[in-house]
Amino acid sequence: MSAAPEAPGRASTLDVVEVKGNTMTLSMGPQHPSTHGVLQVIVEVSGEIVEKAEMEIGYLHTGIEKSAENLFWTQAGTVIERMDYLNPLGNALCYVLAVEKLLGIGAEIPERAQSIRVLVTELSRIASHCVWLGTGGIDLGAISTFFYTFDIREDILDLLEQSGGARMHPNYLRIGGVNGDLPDGFLARLDALIEKFPQRMRELRALLQNNPILRDRMIDVGIVSAQDAVAWGLTGPALRASGIGYDVRKAFPYSGYEKYAFDVPIRDDGDAYARFLVRLDEMDEAMRIVGQVRKELDAPGPIMIADPKIAQPPKETIALSMEALIHHFKIVSESFRVPPGDVYQAIESPRGELGYYLVSNGNNRPYRVRTRPPSMYNLQAMKLLAPGNLIADIVVMIGSLDPVFGEVDR
Amino acid sequence: MEMMPGQFMLGKIDDVARWAQASSVWPLTMGLACCAIEMMSVTNSTYDIARFGSEVFRASPRQADLMIVSGRVAQKMGPIIKRLYDQMADPKWVISMGACASSGGVFDNYAIVQGVDTIVPVDVYVPGCPPTPDGLLYALNLIQQQIRQGGRGGILAKA
Amino acid sequence: MPSSQVPSIAGTALDPTAVRPEIADAEIERIAPVQLRARLAELRAEGFTMLLDIGGVDYLEREPRFDVVYHLLALPDRPATVAEVGVPRRLRLLVGVPGDPASLPSICDLWPNADWAEREIYDLYGIVFEGHPDLKRIQMPSDWVGYPLRKDYPLRGPAREATPRPAFALKSNVPAGTPPGGKVAAALQKQIARARGQVAGNGEKP
Repeated sequence: MSAAPEAPGRASTLDVVEVKGNTMTLSMGPQHPSTHGVLQVIVEVSGEIVEKAEMEIGYLHTGIEKSAENLFWTQAGTVIERMDYLNPLGNALCYVLAVEKLLGIGAEIPERAQSIRVLVTELSRIASHCVWLGTGGIDLGAISTFFYTFDIREDILDLLEQSGGARMHPNYLRIGGVNGDLPDGFLARLDALIEKFPQRMRELRALLQNNPILRDRMIDVGIVSAQDAVAWGLTGPALRASGIGYDVRKAFPYSGYEKYAFDVPIRDDGDAYARFLVRLDEMDEAMRIVGQVRKELDAPGPIMIADPKIAQPPKETIALSMEALIHHFKIVSESFRVPPGDVYQAIESPRGELGYYLVSNGNNRPYRVRTRPPSMYNLQAMKLLAPGNLIADIVVMIGSLDPVFGEVDR
Repeated sequence: MEMMPGQFMLGKIDDVARWAQASSVWPLTMGLACCAIEMMSVTNSTYDIARFGSEVFRASPRQADLMIVSGRVAQKMGPIIKRLYDQMADPKWVISMGACASSGGVFDNYAIVQGVDTIVPVDVYVPGCPPTPDGLLYALNLIQQQIRQGGRGGILAKA
Repeated sequence: MPSSQVPSIAGTALDPTAVRPEIADAEIERIAPVQLRARLAELRAEGFTMLLDIGGVDYLEREPRFDVVYHLLALPDRPATVAEVGVPRRLRLLVGVPGDPASLPSICDLWPNADWAEREIYDLYGIVFEGHPDLKRIQMPSDWVGYPLRKDYPLRGPAREATPRPAFALKSNVPAGTPPGGKVAAALQKQIARARGQVAGNGEKP
């Protein structure tokens, strides 16, 4: 491979190896073990030092936003879930909250549904951080961590499968509530996880937190000042590791988060190690929320609003009631219409502020679903961080920003 | 059969070679989207693909036998997959993991290639969105079966 | 503060922002393209330090055709606790962009993270951002023709639009006209009986 394209805007990004003067231009990715997905970083290196890094994204562009415009409101949640595939329930939550705002039914969502939503979203946050930690460890060569974190993740995915029906992308959160109550045995399993989680976290921290190699590779790597973090639109752990305590769950609480007591970990070193510690602490805080939600789940209650125009009637009633059958038929075959308007709804995803700007023109399909992708803005900060560093540090930095390419490219 | 030191064993080269190939299928790290996370899960201690011989996932296509296309294939990614497939040494196999890789899945739109088999030849398709790790393990077992039965022309099969 | 230079689309279903004040998720402002850079500089001085996102919308039958939506957040740009951050102000700035010529001034010098967002809008809508340092496609391959998120661009792309979707023929091995009986009818009877409370077992697993 020796073609030498001259300028950005080259027709093909496949042939990028060239040598000029002291530097060599190489393509890192899009297939690479350490870029956390399909990212191409075209690096101009002099030895191991990166002089310039240009990132090429779009290798996972799925046209989800266009697909959503062609699906019913009830169906669009399924494709939207597949954006940030490490946190599908979070995507679904943000979407259904936004639609509920447009419908004006935000206040009518039953409490049990809200508790279940918080429960599965926080479990999903822990599962997502488990993947980040496992793959981040592999990037550094700490391969055993992967097995520890994915074991925690298996327990969580078991719970999500029991409640939602699938390990990933369960389409469990629906407009108006959740689809189906927690089955028998779920709470016992949840209790078992809550019980053994602190010990698991202690093991992970013992493996990693004061490990001299990890500290050497992460401390003072990828420092983002508070001012830069705001200027570059960083959100989530990357922003909080630079000292700014912005968490959507605290600033703009949704789905009952104001009821729960939890801390938001903040550090102000702004380096990869700070982001690492913030995420570890977030896993503990998420489990703290799960413990509080657990206490609310003993009492039974409805899990969908009672409005049959929006929520499908229970399956058992369809055989008995003509109205139930008709409502079921209408919702499934042509969904409901959402009054015209636009709304911006944000949640705190494991990556930062995930937002949806939804536009409705009164029809039964979304007119526009614009995602505010936290991973894209977090990843863009690599333009600030990469130059002047070793290739190995680039890998650490990308890992510490934790991008998910389903969201970056949509 | 009792094994004594210094013994000889007779067999066909084909059988021995196929046994060796089937027991050491090394996948390429071709994780694209959500299915990649389930592919990662298949390497963890619960599902443990290593016990089937897929001990390591190689990042370099030159060192891998099996390309697991895990995830949706975007327009930009198509040529990359073809290039990686071409770079893999024979004999090689392809698993199309998930609905998106098999047929475009839920994304029947401008951005997604409707099935990776329009780009590379596929040996096993795994349905699911995403398939559970068990599904991927079964696909690997089918590949092993194909290898043992001499699929695609023998031990030195050309793709 | 709507400007008098923006053609009025108020009250139509295609101008959703005029219709739903009760949602109150952000302060909303609509301006004309010529005011964009000045107004954004003012807003930044006022405290809207973070550009959260820039998005595009194609209102095909409306004049101006496109909306480019800037989401801003008023965050402190120095370390601050959760309490100090409080409830930051949100602003949604909408700019109507005509279909032809579809262009807006770039704001990459005001906020560095506008870069990729503007490239994405160019890639998917065809709106040119004047002054952008490197305006090229970002999601689609660089030789792609057409702007996919426009409403007049077919969902499956122009190449496949004409081909029919695969037809699936469901073959049943039950001849047509067979009256219901056997397992299906039995299951239905059991479901009805359970719903009527004649048989115990809500939460009974199938």
